[in-house]
Order: sequence, then C-alpha cells, then structure tokens
Amino acid sequence: MDWQVIWLFLQQGVASGLVTGSIYALLAVAIVIIFKTTDAPNFAAGELFMAAAYVALYLLVFLALPFVAVVPISLGIAFIAAALFYRIVLQKIGSSAAVTVNVVIATLGLSFVLKGLVRKTGVGDVPRSFPSIFGNDTVMIGQAVLTMQDIGILVLAVLSMTIFFLFFNFTRTGRAMRAVGMNPKAAVLVGINLRRTRMLIWGLSGLLSSLAAILIAPKILMTADMGSVVILGFAAAIIGGFTSLPGAVLGGIIIGVVENLVGLFISSRAISVAPFVAIMLVLVLRPQGLLGGKVAVKKV
Amino acid sequence: MPITLPAKLGSLAVALIALIVLPHLTTGYVVYLANLMLIYIILALGLNILIGETGQFGLAHVAFYGIGIYTTAILAGRFDVPFPVAIVAGMLLAGAIGFLLGAVSFRMRDIYLALSTFAFGEAMQWVFKSWDDVTNGPNGMRIPQASMFGFRITNDHDAYYIVLAVTIVVVLATVALMRSRLGRAFRAVRESEPAALALGVNVRLTKVIAFTLSAVYAGLAGGVYASFSSFIHPDSLGFTTTILVLTMIVVGGLGSIAGAIMGALILGLIQELLRQAPSYQEIIYGVILILFMMYAPKGVAGAIKARFGRSAAK
Repeated sequence: MDWQVIWLFLQQGVASGLVTGSIYALLAVAIVIIFKTTDAPNFAAGELFMAAAYVALYLLVFLALPFVAVVPISLGIAFIAAALFYRIVLQKIGSSAAVTVNVVIATLGLSFVLKGLVRKTGVGDVPRSFPSIFGNDTVMIGQAVLTMQDIGILVLAVLSMTIFFLFFNFTRTGRAMRAVGMNPKAAVLVGINLRRTRMLIWGLSGLLSSLAAILIAPKILMTADMGSVVILGFAAAIIGGFTSLPGAVLGGIIIGVVENLVGLFISSRAISVAPFVAIMLVLVLRPQGLLGGKVAVKKV
Repeated sequence: MPITLPAKLGSLAVALIALIVLPHLTTGYVVYLANLMLIYIILALGLNILIGETGQFGLAHVAFYGIGIYTTAILAGRFDVPFPVAIVAGMLLAGAIGFLLGAVSFRMRDIYLALSTFAFGEAMQWVFKSWDDVTNGPNGMRIPQASMFGFRITNDHDAYYIVLAVTIVVVLATVALMRSRLGRAFRAVRESEPAALALGVNVRLTKVIAFTLSAVYAGLAGGVYASFSSFIHPDSLGFTTTILVLTMIVVGGLGSIAGAIMGALILGLIQELLRQAPSYQEIIYGVILILFMMYAPKGVAGAIKARFGRSAAK
C-alpha cells in the first residue's frame, strides 16, 4: 500500500466516518439524556429507532405523504410513544422501591414488544429500502466521495445537536432537565416537577431516535433487526463517558471514523468487532470514559 | 402463613421423585426440554452469583457458556479426550478467562462494567464466528457423541440423569457456598463496598472470585450442553441469550437461589411454549417482562416471601 492510497483511504474514511458518526452521536445523545435523568440505560433505544423508521416508511410509502409532513408526524409519534412508556410503565416501577435493573428489564421488554409489533404489521417481514431525501448525486470533498444524502445527514445532525445544546443551556425546561440530571432531590426542592421533566426527557429521546432513523434509513437496508445499530450509539456514549453530552458526540464521531478506517485498512469483517475492542480499551484504561467526570464513590 | 420445614422437605422430595421418573413417562421432546431447563438453571445460578449476590453487572455470561461448549466439543471431537475431562477443561478455561476479565474490570462499576462486559461478550461471539480453523466459523460446529463412565449418550434420555445429577450437585454446592464466609462477603460487597472494606472483606479479591466462579458455572453448563447436543451455532451465543439468563434471575428474584431456579423454569418454559406462536412470541415475552417489573419488582421469590413470610424464599 503506497502513501497515495493511504492518503486517499484516510480522507474517505474520515469523511464517511463523520457521516455515520453523526448518526451514532444522535443515538448516543438519546441514550445519555435518559441515563442522566432516569439512571438506567435504555435498552429499547434500538427498537425505538427501528420502529420510528418504520413509522416514517409507512407514512411516506404506504400513505404517500410528502416529506414535509412525514418528518414532523414521525417525530411527534416517537415523542408521544416514548413519553407514554415512561408515564405508564416506568413511573409505576419507579414508585415501587426501584432498582435500576428493573427499569433495564422493562426497557428490554419494550424492545421485544416493538420488534414483535413491527414484524406483525406485515411491513417489517421483508427487507425494505427507504427513499432518499436528498438524492444520491455525488460530491467530491478533497479526494473523498460523498452523496448528497451524506451531506444532508451531516448538516441536519449537526444542526439538531446545536439546537439541543441551546435548548439545554438557555431554556427553562432545558435547565430543569439538567438539574434533574445533577440532583433530583435538589431539583424537586427548587420546584421542578420530576415526573413531568423525566417524561419530557423520554419524549425527546424518542424524537432524537426518530430523527436519526429518518436520516440513516436511506443508507441501510430496513429490517426489524436494524435496531442493532444502536449498539454503536451505546459504544459512542461509553467512550464519551456516558454522562457527558459533548462526550457522546465526540464518541459517536470516533466510533464512526474508526469503523470506516478499520473497514478500509484492515478488512470489512473486522468492522463489526472494532467498536467493542474500542469500548474495552477505553474502559480498561480510563474507566470513566473520555469526558466523564470522576466516578463518584457511593457513601455508606 | 409461613412454610414449615417438613412442608419444604416434603415438597423437595416430591419434586425429586417427579424428576427421577420423568423420562419414563414422557416423550423425547419433553426430556430434551427438561435437559435444556437444567442447563438454564446452571447458567442462572452462575449469573446470580455475579449479579444477584455480588451486585456486579457482568453481561458476558454467554461468552463463557460458549467457551465451555467449544472447548468440550473440540477436545472430545478432535483430540479424543474423555468427555468428563473435556468438560472440566472447559470449566477451567472459562474460569481462567473469567478471572482475567474480572481482574481488568474490578475498577469499574454499574453501567461501565455492564457495557465493557457486554463488549467482551460481543467480541467473543465474533471470535466464535470468525476463528474458522478452530470453531468452523459461521457454519456452526458438529459436537461428537459423548460417552461418560462407560455410558454412550446417543439421545436426550441417555443424558438426562447425568444432566440432572450435575444440576443437583451444582444447586447443593451453591447453597453451601452462599452460607459460607465467601457467600457473606459477596453480599457485603453488593450492599456497600466501603462497609465491606471496613469489615475486613477484600473487595477486589471478592469481585474477581465472583467473576471467576460465575464463569466456571457457565463453562460447566456449556460442557454439559455439549454432552447431549450434536450441534452448536455461534448465532445462539449472542447477547440475546445473556439477556434471557438475566431476565430469568430478575424475574425469579435477584440474590435468591430458589428465585434463580424458578426464573429459569418459568422463562425457559415460556420461551419454548411461545415457539408454538412465533408471530406473537416477541410481543408476549416483552409484555410478560414489563408486567413482572411493574407488579412483582422483587421477582417470584420476593412475591412468595411477601405472601408467606420469611422462611419461603432463601
């Protein structure tokens, strides 16, 4: 392999890595905001993402609605579904001497239900493809080739993450959410409605998953098992520290780039294992992740 | 109404007799199912030591199960090692790798531990799938017919009593273990690491032992599985199976031996029965999990304990 090829592979790997990485970053943010406020990883994140993609597909292809209508309706459905799950199931679990593992198992239950439902509707039993929003014309950046869809993904992902950042830092509701993440008891003392805030967080997380789904769906084959992509969102969240939003974004981009570089330089068979090796390395060397704060020692 | 000791012993005796006569009354499928349930019990007891008793969220259980299966099958199939020796070798290898995993991850806790062990499990599945020369890769591997102590195991009936005997020994050993000093150390670490440390428990060592033991259980389950099964495919050694075992111990009741056994039986049977209704399998299974968490958060063992007083569960 000479230097020119290596240079070309590097450019292509980083460019494609940024695109897929921005999706992983969205998913990682969706996982992290729930973890920060509910103290449990949402193992249904993958299936929320999958189901949201199918909702969008249904609206777009079977009901033939235009994109302008499909996007807000799908985001709204995902928001409401996730918030309802919190309201109906998790609130009940939370009120009964909760242990984190119970919440985790409940989200696993939700993931089974969603997968089963999608298969049952008849839409999810054969692989399908999702129409591209931005078209597949190619663009050269340096020597890397990207499609318009890739550019669209990157721009929209960055845009929505910026909006989220502003929302969390400069609005009342966003600040309430951060307060709940830092110290729920203190948040209640200053007058924040804990249940309502957590419900909103779940809704927002569903909305983010749905957005990621609509963006990435045209690039992958849709099956009821496509939720497994979210493992990479988890990987991104872990690498970033699991409680840090900037960390989640950074982790997503690292995973995306590493994955693409491994595919180009080593072998496409090694792609699937690369993120896990990355997780183990990061955690063994730095157990709190790259941008996670110090692991707090629980008091007796 | 507390359950009295004679009532307990009586029901144990009835259960034992039922287990002994079972293969004479039923068909091959039921015996196969019984073998599978016994394997699930060993797996669940092993994971319960790590998660239920010690409170360490290790999610790589099925990796060790796979190590047990492949080690036993390869040693017995290619090197003509006697089956019992091959099973012990599988246990030791699983234990050794479990020890290493425990030794590198004892610094982590909660979600970080869960996710790094999850990553280890996924990486091991990838190894099973990709190490073609050793595991025959994604095509799966044939497991040779076992023979133990002069018996040839040609079908599920032949294996049943061996699997049953191993499971009973494992259950008794687990009960003894949990009543020992080590068992108390596990629970002390689960309740509070600083407090355990203050009481003179070596927290790191205890965690590493829990990891190792739990891996040994899974390796044993794998070896025993290999003794009656004729085929192993790496697809069945993924996170879904770890999740199945995790849901067993949570639905049964974390930190309870009886709970782990009941959870293994309940969810193992539900899984098998739902195969009759494949299109609803996932929905029903998911709804059951959610309902259990909503209405029986401490599992079956916890619910029985609450209903009948303190003597029932432990």
